[in-house]
Amino acid sequence: MADSRCGELFTTGIGVKHLNDAVLKYVGLESESELACDPVEQGAVRRYAQAIMDDDAAYSAPGPANAKYGGPIAPALFPTHMFRRPFGTPDDIQAHAHDPNFDGIGAAAAQGLPEIEPLKHLGLLNGGLEVELFRYARHGERVKLKSRYLDISEKETSKGSMVIVVIETEYRNGADELLLRVRRTQLRR
Amino acid sequence: MDQPRYFEDVHVGDELPRLAKGPLTTTHLMRWSAAMENWHKIHYDRPFTLEHEKLPDLLIHGSFKQQFLMQLLKDWAGTTGWLWKAAFQFRAMNRVGEIVQAWARVTGKQPTANYGLIDLEIGIVNAEGTESTPGTAVVALPFRSGPSLPYPFVPPEH
Repeated sequence: MADSRCGELFTTGIGVKHLNDAVLKYVGLESESELACDPVEQGAVRRYAQAIMDDDAAYSAPGPANAKYGGPIAPALFPTHMFRRPFGTPDDIQAHAHDPNFDGIGAAAAQGLPEIEPLKHLGLLNGGLEVELFRYARHGERVKLKSRYLDISEKETSKGSMVIVVIETEYRNGADELLLRVRRTQLRR
Repeated sequence: MDQPRYFEDVHVGDELPRLAKGPLTTTHLMRWSAAMENWHKIHYDRPFTLEHEKLPDLLIHGSFKQQFLMQLLKDWAGTTGWLWKAAFQFRAMNRVGEIVQAWARVTGKQPTANYGLIDLEIGIVNAEGTESTPGTAVVALPFRSGPSLPYPFVPPEH
Protein backbone atom coordinates (compact mmCIF):
# COMPACT_ATOMS: atom_id res chain seq x y z
CA MET A 1 0.00 0.00 0.00
CA ALA A 2 1.30 3.40 -0.87
CA ASP A 3 1.89 5.38 2.28
CA SER A 4 2.78 8.78 1.09
CA ARG A 5 4.03 11.88 2.76
CA CYS A 6 1.79 14.77 3.63
CA GLY A 7 1.86 18.37 2.72
CA GLU A 8 4.38 18.18 -0.10
CA LEU A 9 4.24 16.76 -3.57
CA PHE A 10 6.38 14.46 -5.61
CA THR A 11 5.57 16.20 -8.86
CA THR A 12 3.52 19.17 -9.86
CA GLY A 13 1.09 19.83 -12.63
CA ILE A 14 0.02 23.35 -11.80
CA GLY A 15 -2.80 24.59 -13.91
CA VAL A 16 -3.26 21.27 -15.65
CA LYS A 17 -6.72 19.74 -15.73
CA HIS A 18 -6.69 16.01 -15.34
CA LEU A 19 -10.31 14.98 -15.10
CA ASN A 20 -11.66 13.57 -18.34
CA ASP A 21 -13.55 10.53 -19.60
CA ALA A 22 -10.42 8.40 -19.56
CA VAL A 23 -10.13 9.06 -15.83
CA LEU A 24 -13.81 9.03 -14.92
CA LYS A 25 -14.35 5.61 -16.47
CA TYR A 26 -12.55 4.20 -13.43
CA VAL A 27 -15.33 5.32 -11.06
CA GLY A 28 -17.24 2.22 -10.00
CA LEU A 29 -14.52 -0.14 -11.18
CA GLU A 30 -14.23 -3.05 -8.76
CA SER A 31 -11.32 -5.31 -8.02
CA GLU A 32 -11.52 -9.06 -7.89
CA SER A 33 -11.69 -10.54 -4.41
CA GLU A 34 -8.07 -10.89 -3.32
CA LEU A 35 -6.89 -13.24 -0.59
CA ALA A 36 -3.98 -12.13 1.60
CA CYS A 37 -1.00 -14.39 1.03
CA ASP A 38 -0.74 -15.35 4.69
CA PRO A 39 -3.33 -15.88 7.43
CA VAL A 40 -3.31 -13.73 10.56
CA GLU A 41 -0.05 -15.00 12.05
CA GLN A 42 0.69 -14.72 15.77
CA GLY A 43 4.26 -13.56 15.07
CA ALA A 44 3.13 -10.93 12.59
CA VAL A 45 0.57 -9.66 15.10
CA ARG A 46 3.25 -9.47 17.79
CA ARG A 47 5.61 -7.48 15.55
CA TYR A 48 2.79 -5.17 14.50
CA ALA A 49 1.54 -4.60 18.07
CA GLN A 50 5.05 -3.98 19.34
CA ALA A 51 5.75 -1.58 16.48
CA ILE A 52 2.68 0.51 17.34
CA MET A 53 3.52 0.14 21.04
CA ASP A 54 0.15 -1.30 22.00
CA ASP A 55 0.65 -4.30 24.25
CA ASP A 56 -3.04 -5.06 24.56
CA ALA A 57 -3.49 -8.51 26.12
CA ALA A 58 -6.18 -9.21 23.53
CA TYR A 59 -3.44 -9.56 20.88
CA SER A 60 -1.49 -12.33 22.61
CA ALA A 61 -2.79 -15.41 24.40
CA PRO A 62 -6.39 -16.49 25.00
CA GLY A 63 -7.78 -14.84 28.10
CA PRO A 64 -10.36 -12.45 29.50
CA ALA A 65 -9.20 -9.62 27.21
CA ASN A 66 -10.22 -11.48 24.07
CA ALA A 67 -12.81 -14.01 25.28
CA LYS A 68 -15.58 -11.83 23.87
CA TYR A 69 -13.94 -12.01 20.45
CA GLY A 70 -13.44 -15.76 20.42
CA GLY A 71 -9.68 -15.75 21.11
CA PRO A 72 -6.57 -13.73 20.33
CA ILE A 73 -7.13 -10.98 17.79
CA ALA A 74 -5.11 -8.61 15.64
CA PRO A 75 -5.25 -4.81 15.98
CA ALA A 76 -8.25 -3.34 14.18
CA LEU A 77 -6.32 -2.07 11.14
CA PHE A 78 -4.05 -5.12 10.84
CA PRO A 79 -6.07 -6.58 7.92
CA THR A 80 -5.32 -3.47 5.87
CA HIS A 81 -1.61 -4.33 6.01
CA MET A 82 -1.88 -8.02 5.17
CA PHE A 83 -1.72 -7.68 1.42
CA ARG A 84 1.93 -8.24 0.73
CA ARG A 85 4.00 -9.66 -2.08
CA PRO A 86 3.25 -13.38 -2.43
CA PHE A 87 5.89 -15.96 -3.34
CA GLY A 88 6.60 -16.16 -7.03
CA THR A 89 5.84 -12.53 -7.86
CA PRO A 90 8.28 -9.88 -9.14
CA ASP A 91 10.59 -8.29 -6.57
CA ASP A 92 10.36 -4.52 -7.09
CA ILE A 93 13.18 -3.81 -4.68
CA GLN A 94 15.65 -6.01 -6.51
CA ALA A 95 14.37 -4.81 -9.88
CA HIS A 96 15.21 -1.24 -8.86
CA ALA A 97 18.46 -2.02 -7.06
CA HIS A 98 20.40 0.15 -9.51
CA ASP A 99 17.81 2.94 -9.73
CA PRO A 100 18.72 5.83 -7.41
CA ASN A 101 15.33 7.42 -8.07
CA PHE A 102 13.36 4.44 -6.80
CA ASP A 103 11.36 5.59 -3.78
CA GLY A 104 10.84 2.12 -2.34
CA ILE A 105 7.16 1.73 -3.13
CA GLY A 106 6.98 1.74 -6.91
CA ALA A 107 3.57 2.01 -8.54
CA ALA A 108 0.62 3.49 -6.71
CA ALA A 109 -0.79 0.20 -5.52
CA ALA A 110 -4.48 0.61 -4.84
CA GLN A 111 -5.80 -2.27 -2.78
CA GLY A 112 -6.31 -4.70 -5.62
CA LEU A 113 -7.37 -2.08 -8.15
CA PRO A 114 -5.47 -1.23 -11.31
CA GLU A 115 -3.56 2.04 -11.40
CA ILE A 116 -5.47 4.90 -13.07
CA GLU A 117 -3.37 5.06 -16.20
CA PRO A 118 -3.92 8.75 -17.09
CA LEU A 119 -2.87 9.77 -13.56
CA LYS A 120 0.19 7.56 -13.42
CA HIS A 121 2.61 10.44 -13.88
CA LEU A 122 1.17 12.43 -11.00
CA GLY A 123 2.43 12.56 -7.45
CA LEU A 124 0.53 10.71 -4.77
CA LEU A 125 -0.43 11.94 -1.32
CA ASN A 126 -2.19 10.02 1.40
CA GLY A 127 -5.09 12.34 2.12
CA GLY A 128 -6.77 10.41 4.89
CA LEU A 129 -8.84 7.49 5.92
CA GLU A 130 -12.36 6.66 6.99
CA VAL A 131 -12.75 3.39 8.84
CA GLU A 132 -15.85 1.50 9.91
CA LEU A 133 -15.18 -1.45 12.21
CA PHE A 134 -17.38 -4.47 12.72
CA ARG A 135 -15.20 -7.31 13.93
CA TYR A 136 -11.58 -8.11 14.73
CA ALA A 137 -9.56 -10.60 12.70
CA ARG A 138 -8.58 -13.53 14.88
CA HIS A 139 -5.27 -15.34 14.82
CA GLY A 140 -5.29 -18.01 12.12
CA GLU A 141 -8.04 -16.45 10.04
CA ARG A 142 -7.67 -15.72 6.35
CA VAL A 143 -8.47 -12.21 5.16
CA LYS A 144 -9.62 -11.08 1.74
CA LEU A 145 -10.38 -7.71 0.26
CA LYS A 146 -12.49 -6.24 -2.46
CA SER A 147 -12.10 -2.64 -3.57
CA ARG A 148 -13.71 -0.14 -5.88
CA TYR A 149 -13.04 3.36 -7.06
CA LEU A 150 -15.80 5.18 -5.22
CA ASP A 151 -15.26 8.68 -6.53
CA ILE A 152 -12.84 10.76 -8.56
CA SER A 153 -13.04 14.52 -8.53
CA GLU A 154 -10.80 17.49 -9.15
CA LYS A 155 -10.44 20.81 -7.43
CA GLU A 156 -8.33 23.89 -7.78
CA THR A 157 -5.96 24.66 -4.96
CA SER A 158 -3.40 27.35 -4.35
CA LYS A 159 -0.83 24.95 -5.80
CA GLY A 160 -2.84 24.12 -8.91
CA SER A 161 -5.39 21.48 -9.76
CA MET A 162 -5.60 18.34 -7.68
CA VAL A 163 -7.37 15.08 -8.37
CA ILE A 164 -9.07 13.44 -5.40
CA VAL A 165 -9.47 9.68 -5.67
CA VAL A 166 -11.58 7.82 -3.11
CA ILE A 167 -11.15 4.06 -2.87
CA GLU A 168 -13.47 1.93 -0.77
CA THR A 169 -12.24 -1.45 0.40
CA GLU A 170 -14.03 -4.13 2.36
CA TYR A 171 -12.03 -6.68 4.33
CA ARG A 172 -13.67 -9.99 5.17
CA ASN A 173 -12.55 -13.17 6.85
CA GLY A 174 -12.60 -16.64 5.31
CA ALA A 175 -16.22 -17.09 6.37
CA ASP A 176 -17.08 -13.93 4.43
CA GLU A 177 -17.82 -11.98 7.61
CA LEU A 178 -17.20 -8.26 7.26
CA LEU A 179 -14.26 -7.10 9.39
CA LEU A 180 -13.98 -3.48 8.36
CA ARG A 181 -14.73 -1.03 5.59
CA VAL A 182 -12.13 1.56 4.68
CA ARG A 183 -12.34 4.63 2.47
CA ARG A 184 -8.95 6.00 1.46
CA THR A 185 -8.49 9.43 -0.04
CA GLN A 186 -5.59 9.75 -2.44
CA LEU A 187 -4.55 13.18 -3.61
CA ARG A 188 -2.96 13.24 -7.06
CA ARG A 189 -1.15 16.24 -8.38
CA MET B 1 -9.90 -5.86 33.16
CA ASP B 2 -10.99 -2.31 32.52
CA GLN B 3 -13.97 -0.87 34.33
CA PRO B 4 -16.95 -0.81 31.98
CA ARG B 5 -17.73 2.59 30.58
CA TYR B 6 -21.40 3.37 30.12
CA PHE B 7 -23.20 5.85 27.92
CA GLU B 8 -24.47 7.66 31.01
CA ASP B 9 -20.91 8.21 32.29
CA VAL B 10 -19.94 10.38 29.34
CA HIS B 11 -20.68 14.07 28.86
CA VAL B 12 -20.29 16.46 25.97
CA GLY B 13 -17.04 18.33 26.41
CA ASP B 14 -15.26 15.47 28.16
CA GLU B 15 -11.62 15.16 27.13
CA LEU B 16 -10.06 11.72 26.87
CA PRO B 17 -6.69 11.22 28.56
CA ARG B 18 -4.13 11.90 25.86
CA LEU B 19 -1.97 9.11 24.46
CA ALA B 20 1.65 10.19 23.99
CA LYS B 21 4.12 8.37 21.73
CA GLY B 22 7.74 9.16 21.24
CA PRO B 23 10.13 10.64 20.69
CA LEU B 24 9.67 8.60 17.53
CA THR B 25 13.17 7.75 16.37
CA THR B 26 14.40 6.33 13.08
CA THR B 27 14.34 2.95 14.78
CA HIS B 28 10.64 3.31 15.59
CA LEU B 29 9.92 4.24 11.99
CA MET B 30 11.99 1.35 10.65
CA ARG B 31 10.26 -1.07 13.00
CA TRP B 32 6.86 0.07 11.74
CA SER B 33 8.01 -0.11 8.10
CA ALA B 34 9.18 -3.68 8.70
CA ALA B 35 6.02 -4.69 10.53
CA MET B 36 3.86 -3.70 7.58
CA GLU B 37 6.47 -4.31 4.87
CA ASN B 38 6.29 -0.80 3.50
CA TRP B 39 9.66 0.25 2.18
CA HIS B 40 8.98 3.87 1.27
CA LYS B 41 12.39 5.49 1.69
CA ILE B 42 11.09 8.76 3.13
CA HIS B 43 10.71 6.96 6.45
CA TYR B 44 14.28 5.61 6.83
CA ASP B 45 16.65 6.79 4.07
CA ARG B 46 17.67 10.30 5.10
CA PRO B 47 19.92 11.16 2.09
CA PHE B 48 17.17 10.10 -0.33
CA THR B 49 14.54 12.00 1.66
CA LEU B 50 16.51 15.24 1.86
CA GLU B 51 18.34 15.26 -1.45
CA HIS B 52 15.96 13.46 -3.80
CA GLU B 53 12.56 14.23 -2.29
CA LYS B 54 13.56 17.66 -0.92
CA LEU B 55 11.80 16.98 2.37
CA PRO B 56 13.00 18.54 5.63
CA ASP B 57 13.66 15.19 7.33
CA LEU B 58 12.42 11.62 7.61
CA LEU B 59 8.65 11.59 8.05
CA ILE B 60 6.51 9.70 10.51
CA HIS B 61 4.16 7.49 8.49
CA GLY B 62 0.52 8.51 8.33
CA SER B 63 -0.26 4.83 8.77
CA PHE B 64 1.78 4.89 11.99
CA LYS B 65 0.03 7.94 13.40
CA GLN B 66 -3.40 6.55 12.70
CA GLN B 67 -2.60 3.59 14.94
CA PHE B 68 -2.27 5.94 17.91
CA LEU B 69 -5.74 7.34 17.36
CA MET B 70 -7.15 3.86 17.06
CA GLN B 71 -5.43 2.79 20.29
CA LEU B 72 -6.65 5.84 22.19
CA LEU B 73 -10.26 5.25 21.15
CA LYS B 74 -10.16 1.47 21.51
CA ASP B 75 -8.77 1.66 25.02
CA TRP B 76 -11.28 4.31 26.03
CA ALA B 77 -14.20 2.25 24.69
CA GLY B 78 -12.93 -0.81 26.57
CA THR B 79 -14.10 -4.33 25.91
CA THR B 80 -17.69 -3.42 26.74
CA GLY B 81 -17.72 -0.63 24.14
CA TRP B 82 -16.85 -0.55 20.47
CA LEU B 83 -14.98 1.88 18.29
CA TRP B 84 -17.33 1.93 15.34
CA LYS B 85 -16.07 4.73 13.12
CA ALA B 86 -12.97 6.87 12.78
CA ALA B 87 -12.07 9.32 10.05
CA PHE B 88 -9.01 11.51 9.79
CA GLN B 89 -7.09 13.59 7.32
CA PHE B 90 -3.34 13.81 7.02
CA ARG B 91 -2.95 17.56 6.96
CA ALA B 92 0.63 18.09 8.07
CA MET B 93 3.92 16.27 8.28
CA ASN B 94 5.43 14.99 11.49
CA ARG B 95 9.20 14.57 11.44
CA VAL B 96 11.34 11.88 12.97
CA GLY B 97 12.20 12.66 16.58
CA GLU B 98 8.89 14.26 17.42
CA ILE B 99 6.71 13.35 20.38
CA VAL B 100 3.10 13.15 19.28
CA GLN B 101 -0.08 13.05 21.32
CA ALA B 102 -3.37 11.55 20.20
CA TRP B 103 -6.32 13.41 21.69
CA ALA B 104 -10.11 13.24 21.62
CA ARG B 105 -13.02 15.26 22.93
CA VAL B 106 -16.69 14.33 23.21
CA THR B 107 -18.85 16.46 20.95
CA GLY B 108 -22.18 14.67 21.07
CA LYS B 109 -24.26 11.79 22.39
CA GLN B 110 -26.98 9.88 20.64
CA PRO B 111 -29.02 7.17 22.32
CA THR B 112 -30.26 4.40 20.05
CA ALA B 113 -32.62 1.55 20.83
CA ASN B 114 -30.03 -0.78 22.34
CA TYR B 115 -26.93 1.31 23.05
CA GLY B 116 -25.57 4.83 22.89
CA LEU B 117 -23.29 6.50 20.38
CA ILE B 118 -20.60 8.96 21.41
CA ASP B 119 -19.37 11.48 18.83
CA LEU B 120 -15.80 12.66 19.20
CA GLU B 121 -13.45 15.15 17.66
CA ILE B 122 -9.97 13.63 17.39
CA GLY B 123 -6.48 14.56 16.33
CA ILE B 124 -2.74 14.34 16.79
CA VAL B 125 -0.55 17.20 17.96
CA ASN B 126 3.19 17.49 18.36
CA ALA B 127 5.11 19.24 21.13
CA GLU B 128 4.53 22.60 19.42
CA GLY B 129 0.80 21.96 19.41
CA THR B 130 0.58 21.67 15.63
CA GLU B 131 -2.38 19.56 14.57
CA SER B 132 -1.52 17.04 11.85
CA THR B 133 -4.35 14.53 11.80
CA PRO B 134 -7.76 16.08 12.54
CA GLY B 135 -10.84 13.94 12.38
CA THR B 136 -13.92 12.51 14.01
CA ALA B 137 -14.94 9.22 15.57
CA VAL B 138 -18.00 7.40 16.86
CA VAL B 139 -17.81 5.02 19.81
CA ALA B 140 -20.70 2.81 20.89
CA LEU B 141 -21.23 2.31 24.61
CA PRO B 142 -23.83 0.22 26.46
CA PHE B 143 -26.50 1.74 28.66
CA ARG B 144 -25.92 1.15 32.36
CA SER B 145 -29.04 -0.97 32.62
CA GLY B 146 -29.06 -2.12 29.01
CA PRO B 147 -27.86 -5.17 27.10
CA SER B 148 -24.26 -5.77 26.08
CA LEU B 149 -23.19 -4.46 22.71
CA PRO B 150 -23.59 -6.96 19.89
CA TYR B 151 -20.38 -8.57 18.65
CA PRO B 152 -19.69 -8.52 15.77
CA PHE B 153 -20.89 -4.94 15.96
CA VAL B 154 -24.26 -4.21 14.40
CA PRO B 155 -24.74 -0.54 13.48
CA PRO B 156 -28.00 1.09 14.49
CA GLU B 157 -30.82 1.18 11.99
CA HIS B 158 -31.67 4.61 10.74
